[in-house]
Amino acid sequence: MFTPGSKYFLGLTGLGLVSAVLYCFLVNPSDLGAYALFGLFISAALIAGFSIFTRDGDTDTVAEAVEANTETTAPSFWPLVFALGGALTLLGIATNEIVFVLGLAVLIGGAVEWVIDDWAEKASADSEFNAFVRHRAIGALDYPGIAAVVLGVVAFLFSRIMLTVSKDEASIIFIIVSALIFATGFLLAAKPALRGKSTAIISVVGALILAVAGVTSALNGERKELVKYAKEDPYSISHRECGEEAGEHYDHEPNGSVSLRSGVIATVFVEDGKIRAQEVGLKRDVESITIPRSNSTTILFRNLDSEEYRLVVNLGEVKVGTTDVMEKVGTCTQLTGKNEEQALTVTIPKPSNPEAPYTLTVPGATGEIKVVVP
Amino acid sequence: MAIIERPGTGTTPVVATPQQTLGAVKRPVETKGWREWLFTVDHKKIGIMYGVVAMVFFIIGGVEALLIRLQLAMPDGQILSADKYNQMFTMHATTMVFLFAMPMAGAFANYFLPLQIGARDVAFPRINALSLWLLIIGGLVLNASWFLGGAADGGWFMYAPNSGPIFSPSHGVDFWVIGLQIAGVASLLGSINLIVTVVNMRAPGMSLMKMPVFTWMILVVQFLLVFSLPVITVALVLLMLQRSYGATFFDVSQGADPLLWQHLFWIFGHPEVYVLILPAFGIISEVLPTFARKPLFGYPFVVFSGASIGLVGFGVWAHHMFASGLGPVSVAVFSVATMAIAIPTGVKIFNWLLTMWGGKIWYTTAMNFAIGLVVLFTIGGLSGVTHSVAPSDTQQTDTYYIVAHFHYVLFGGMVFGLFSGFYYWWPKVFGKMLNEKLGAWNFWFMVIGMNLTFGPMHILGLQGQPRRMYVWTEARAGEGFFNLGFWNLIASIGSFILAVGVLFFLINVVITARSKKQAPLDPWDARTLEWLTTSPPKAHNFDRIPVVHHLDEFFHRKYEEDTATHTMKKVAEGEDLVRVEEEAADAHIHLPSPSYWPIVLSVGVGLLGLGTIYGIPMIVLGFAITLFASYGWILEPSVAEEIDFEPSNNDGNTKEIAPLG
Amino acid sequence: MDTVSPVKSLTRRISTTIAGVAGAVVLAGCAQNAPQDTWQPKGDNAQMITSLDKLVFPIAGIVGVLVSAFAAYIFVKFRDKGQAIPAQSHGKPIVEIVLTIVPALILTVVGVFTFRTIMDLAETQDTEMIINVTGQQWWWEYDYPAQADQGITQPIITSGQLVIPEDTNVLLRETSRDVIHSFWIPALNGKKDAVPGRIHLLRMQADQPGIYAGQCTEFCGLSHANMRMEAIALSKEDFAKWVANQQKPYVAPAEGTLAKEGEGVFINQCARCHQVNGIKDANGKAIISAPDENVYSGAAPNLTTLMTRNTFAGAMFDMVNQKCRADVWNAKSEEFGAKYLAGVTEECLNEKTLRAWLRNAPAMKPMYADPAKLEKTNGLYRGMPNLGLTEDDIDKLVAYLLTLK
Repeated sequence: MFTPGSKYFLGLTGLGLVSAVLYCFLVNPSDLGAYALFGLFISAALIAGFSIFTRDGDTDTVAEAVEANTETTAPSFWPLVFALGGALTLLGIATNEIVFVLGLAVLIGGAVEWVIDDWAEKASADSEFNAFVRHRAIGALDYPGIAAVVLGVVAFLFSRIMLTVSKDEASIIFIIVSALIFATGFLLAAKPALRGKSTAIISVVGALILAVAGVTSALNGERKELVKYAKEDPYSISHRECGEEAGEHYDHEPNGSVSLRSGVIATVFVEDGKIRAQEVGLKRDVESITIPRSNSTTILFRNLDSEEYRLVVNLGEVKVGTTDVMEKVGTCTQLTGKNEEQALTVTIPKPSNPEAPYTLTVPGATGEIKVVVP
Repeated sequence: MAIIERPGTGTTPVVATPQQTLGAVKRPVETKGWREWLFTVDHKKIGIMYGVVAMVFFIIGGVEALLIRLQLAMPDGQILSADKYNQMFTMHATTMVFLFAMPMAGAFANYFLPLQIGARDVAFPRINALSLWLLIIGGLVLNASWFLGGAADGGWFMYAPNSGPIFSPSHGVDFWVIGLQIAGVASLLGSINLIVTVVNMRAPGMSLMKMPVFTWMILVVQFLLVFSLPVITVALVLLMLQRSYGATFFDVSQGADPLLWQHLFWIFGHPEVYVLILPAFGIISEVLPTFARKPLFGYPFVVFSGASIGLVGFGVWAHHMFASGLGPVSVAVFSVATMAIAIPTGVKIFNWLLTMWGGKIWYTTAMNFAIGLVVLFTIGGLSGVTHSVAPSDTQQTDTYYIVAHFHYVLFGGMVFGLFSGFYYWWPKVFGKMLNEKLGAWNFWFMVIGMNLTFGPMHILGLQGQPRRMYVWTEARAGEGFFNLGFWNLIASIGSFILAVGVLFFLINVVITARSKKQAPLDPWDARTLEWLTTSPPKAHNFDRIPVVHHLDEFFHRKYEEDTATHTMKKVAEGEDLVRVEEEAADAHIHLPSPSYWPIVLSVGVGLLGLGTIYGIPMIVLGFAITLFASYGWILEPSVAEEIDFEPSNNDGNTKEIAPLG
Repeated sequence: MDTVSPVKSLTRRISTTIAGVAGAVVLAGCAQNAPQDTWQPKGDNAQMITSLDKLVFPIAGIVGVLVSAFAAYIFVKFRDKGQAIPAQSHGKPIVEIVLTIVPALILTVVGVFTFRTIMDLAETQDTEMIINVTGQQWWWEYDYPAQADQGITQPIITSGQLVIPEDTNVLLRETSRDVIHSFWIPALNGKKDAVPGRIHLLRMQADQPGIYAGQCTEFCGLSHANMRMEAIALSKEDFAKWVANQQKPYVAPAEGTLAKEGEGVFINQCARCHQVNGIKDANGKAIISAPDENVYSGAAPNLTTLMTRNTFAGAMFDMVNQKCRADVWNAKSEEFGAKYLAGVTEECLNEKTLRAWLRNAPAMKPMYADPAKLEKTNGLYRGMPNLGLTEDDIDKLVAYLLTLK
């Protein structure tokens, strides 16, 4: 069972293991040398296993081998792939990591395919059987690999599209696409005659649309409000649009976007230009909201007026760096239209100072609500 | 397509060396000694190994339970530290559910399902072996944690965020996650295997409504597993990513909602309850008719109630979460749905009772355990109804009342059913009868122990003792002689009586194994197909694939109805029927050969899993072995011998296609 | 409060009779005065649940007895007495249908009452007072938002013992700082989980002044068993006194006393995590504790009025000795308020346990407080570490803590 090739690699495996273990004990188990030796051990073991399986790509008997070799070798594009992989790998070393990894993947994939092709061609004198053997051996790698790549590409392209289009467009796209898929599936199920060629056409057209739309979207970039929002400093009022200004990018219709309802401790309303608040569970207006310390707490802001407002929480002032300049600390919601809601989440670790309590204000509206942390 | 045993003449399969080995490693043909077990793909041997493994874990889980009861026998117990106690109850539940109950049901299913439907093996014999070895690897990984820094300590429900890397800093939860994922893969493979077996490999004439109830219940369970296991697998993968790779699925500070875990866990966890109990229902649905000498009362109702329990079981998961702050509307819906599930369950109880009505009841140990199930499960079911009432449940959940409830259901129900199965089928599997006298000791100690252990827990729970507490305190135990301390002590004493009962069973097994006395072929005057062969059955199960005409085919071959008096008259003995089969034995019988790869593959998967704890090199090693074994599996000779396979065309036996996989 | 009024006359009578007769055997075996007994409601909400129990348990009991009796009859009547093998009948569909419909009807009745009770228990319109309840490994914090109509002009913060006025609809707003806990005072209501990131509402109402025991019931890690709580109901006048006492300004101990030295030890050792409202350092600057810099979950109990509570360390230990404890627990409801409001006096102090706690807290209660094993939390404790106090320090601290009332 142990072919000459496998014996060599088994020897290498043993050597790799012994030296790796010795290295760990004598030198240092966590430095690069250990990884290299373990890598040697594992890769030698892999190749050894491989050559045992493929009997070094040899055939059983001389007669078979002779017969196998009389057949012409089929054309193969794996050498080309292999070469491409090599080129990409080298290019990757010079340019960037992604190219390098991609090249490595192509290199390994090409090598594996090539080796198995070569072995399968000589497996027996029966070319039909050889084709079967090849399918057996490579199918287990091919299909999952191809499926993973295809799914990855589809998911990536779709995500690019969704990040580019606006929310409303996104829901329309979802509805149309899912309806199309459903309708197609229904048609194919109802009329088996349609299968075959039409399925292939639909798949190709779908793939083309997805590819074109995905690439276009990726080049277009993400929709603006996302870009802006991601870059804001969450806890510094001065660096955010927390005043009366209109703001550059924001969500005009935030209703339904509040997914934190189960964690809301109080609701702040603006009605007739005045601000008032209610603690959750207590159906009357209060002048101060008490929130537990050191806990992420959500306050809901509901605008009942026709003008747009935002809720601001003022958490005092701190010095900027080592200077004496004081900076206001706090955070705010985006502008909120009539009958819309926004959530404001804060975590305040320390008890509030009774002399200078934190406050909730709404720029442009009168009144303020005290925030007490006991 | 693993057919390589050549057709022989007569009934002994002749074994030949497979040709066209693609790889260098030849497929084993005939193995002896330990190899016979390690590389087998025979469903009967695999079934026995499932049983042995499950029994070992039953004992481990039982010892954990005894330690828990020792700790709680007195106030402020000192036997276990808080940390050890938390590990103990986590592992007790995990072991009992995943490593005892499911594999033991798997043992029965593996052994008897093909026999009951008149098949020669399961559909995918090598995958069957893989399931077993993956389960064993999963169990080893889970229990290895005891010696590698402490076991999981988050409870078997492993609620987030308490299971996160910060709140459970040892590697216990990591081992738990990996062990359960591996065991989950095993169950999933097994369930698909059994579904395909039932759908494709029934003997000619056996329509679905002529299938034995045990097979039916196993089929329902496999569907439950196929639909519920993916959910827990997703949850476990999320938890693994969170613990080992810094993901934040359940990290509240990153905006996660910890209730996500609870939903995922219980969408799996509730069907799991029926996965545990339905096989036991199946077993006693075989045992009760046999010993009452009557067919099951309302067979279609029992079958459909089982199926509807399975179906509705998917819609009641949130009743484990009545206290977790769902809105009142969801609570009300789940509360009512939970009550609804009591209806098909009640139907089953009534049908079992009515099966015995008008019967001729023969009290053997198997029958005693079956009756024990009916009574004890009824008690557990009724206490279950009391906490389907959501407001009451908010007082009862997480107290010992719940512990009492589900132990009545799972111990009084499931375990009693399994023990009934042991006594009923032991002569079939091993050709020897378990001692009935010791069986009686076994039964009564278990009944008394079980009621002493779990009965008082009703009182403990209703009087306010929560679960999962490593100590209880005198100050909260109340006054009077019968205070909670008294009942805690009684429960602890009961648990040891229960343990003695189990010990009687083990003694019985040893004594039976040593005895030379062979069991009669048909000791119980049984009713179903598995008795239509020798005990233990031959490697190929049946000499001739039986043609089925009746529900309870075996019984109807033995008995004929006297048309005048409507009484049954015995016209043939089991031995006669088996002799008839032997004389008409099939000439060509194909059985799958043993294989090295299931066990190698499962070792690879185990290492792959452990790599998430011990780092990349181990992942690579595990992956290499897995790949190596996969190729061994793929390249194993299996097709070329198709030329040897001659479908017999004389009597419709072509149904017995060579098993795949 | 009577929630089953429509069927009161009949169901109540039948169920009480049966609970009395059939349940008598079982109940005789129950503990008396178990503090967490779920069947001794002391408030409207728990009463609603018990009323439901009084419908469901008898039904379950009757069904159980009937089925068992039927089974027993079958076991005896149809045992093998040498009779012939019976006819192989496969069942009667009509029997099956009846046996399906009857349980369905019974359960429909139960379902209707269940539905009503669920809705009643989720009601929040009648709330008179709200309290924030925050769980943390392994103790509970209660803070009272300012509610002028309840006499609470500035927020109150306490822990271990939840103080509520009698006969008032209190709404607890539960949440948690770390893992899931569950708040449960069986005599007042069922349990509800405190889930981090969520706020769950739980009704509380007590008919009479008294002390009601509870226990965290969602497994929350190492010291889950030690995470207890008590609810204290006070008459409205006594509650007003309690509130006034909680809101009074801090008075530093007199110069030169042992307690004053204790204040120094406190500021050095304890004030990093434990807040005492109004405490000032030598320069007269208010000291604000920073538990978030020392404790993973971000808070430590506020000790401003420590000696008004009868328990400490997550209600695991009694702050008062056995005699004084029994005195409070067994007090009649008229006398309860006065006894509770007396607080922890020097004679009543459970000094031995308190000193042991101050000496080495992790030895008393399992916690993650070993500085060598905190790499996962970047050195932040989960629980109180051993501060290495000398006996001298402990003397001073105890003297100081006794002034916090």
